[in-house]
Amino acid sequence: MSNSKLYKGSLTTIILKLLNEHDKMYGYEITQKVKELTKGELKITEGALYPALHKLEAEGLLDVEVAKVDNRLRKYYKLTETGTKETVNKLEELAEYIKTMQALVNPKLA
Amino acid sequence: MKLTESQIQDLYVFTRQHYVEHYDLQTELVDHLANDIEAQWQVRPELSFEDAKNRAFKKFGIFGFMDAIEQKGKAMNKRYRGYLWAELKTWLQLPQVLATIALYLVFYVSFSLGDIATIALIFFGIISIWCAFKSIQLNRQFRRRKEVSNKKWMLEEMIFRQAGSTMFVFMSQLYNVYKIPEHFGDNAYFLFLFSLGFTALTLINYISLEVIPSKAEKLLNETYPEFSL
Repeated sequence: MSNSKLYKGSLTTIILKLLNEHDKMYGYEITQKVKELTKGELKITEGALYPALHKLEAEGLLDVEVAKVDNRLRKYYKLTETGTKETVNKLEELAEYIKTMQALVNPKLA
Repeated sequence: MKLTESQIQDLYVFTRQHYVEHYDLQTELVDHLANDIEAQWQVRPELSFEDAKNRAFKKFGIFGFMDAIEQKGKAMNKRYRGYLWAELKTWLQLPQVLATIALYLVFYVSFSLGDIATIALIFFGIISIWCAFKSIQLNRQFRRRKEVSNKKWMLEEMIFRQAGSTMFVFMSQLYNVYKIPEHFGDNAYFLFLFSLGFTALTLINYISLEVIPSKAEKLLNETYPEFSL
């Protein structure tokens, strides 16, 4: 699964879902959290994460906060009000997609 | 084990060497690399800073920071267009709309007075000279700002350097204006659209070269929480 491209379209949903559960998160933290939750099965690559975060920020779904941590600046992302609403939509879309895929892969279960 | 201040500075240089010009994106990537290096040191404390740094960078894939740079540019362009549009909308509301209507009437009446191509070229000349003057002025301001802070912010560069690009859109139409047949000036529908186009382009140039740069500090503080840190 680690090399799979299946999650690519779900990257936005994953980010929104994580931020919905946590008040604010920074880039590295998001990659580690996904790794931890999926026990290493799903790996968000750095090359894909930041473009996705910047896109969501430009769309007004994420807001940023910067704090000095240790001897460097850290940029935190959090959901805006629109972002919170969009998270619900995206999760519903994903659930629907999973249901459809289940019906295709395992018709008996669906 | 934590990174030292000089190692953090080394990471800033490293991102610059990998084509990340702007401080806003550099800062985010520096923190990411630093976190990764520190995580590696927890498992393998014997790793050198250089090795850990290269291993962290490899995780960005073969294109390195390029995707992040590209997307950040797109995102910031969208934000800049948003600011431009928000300002443009205020010129369609009271009281500025009165100035917009007056400007429109100046163009409309002038174009109806005589040879439309000649009059349009005169307006073109005036607007272009003003735009060129403002672009040079803003470019100088940008260089001075960079000398003082030694940092280059993506939005700041758009505000001070790309603002002049609307002038090129304007200038690209010079030949078409020159070639306008004289009898077009008698066509009320054409005059209406032509004056509207001139008004819109004049306003966009004015907003991007005068209004937005004058609000640069406010917009930069709004966009970058770290700007005043």
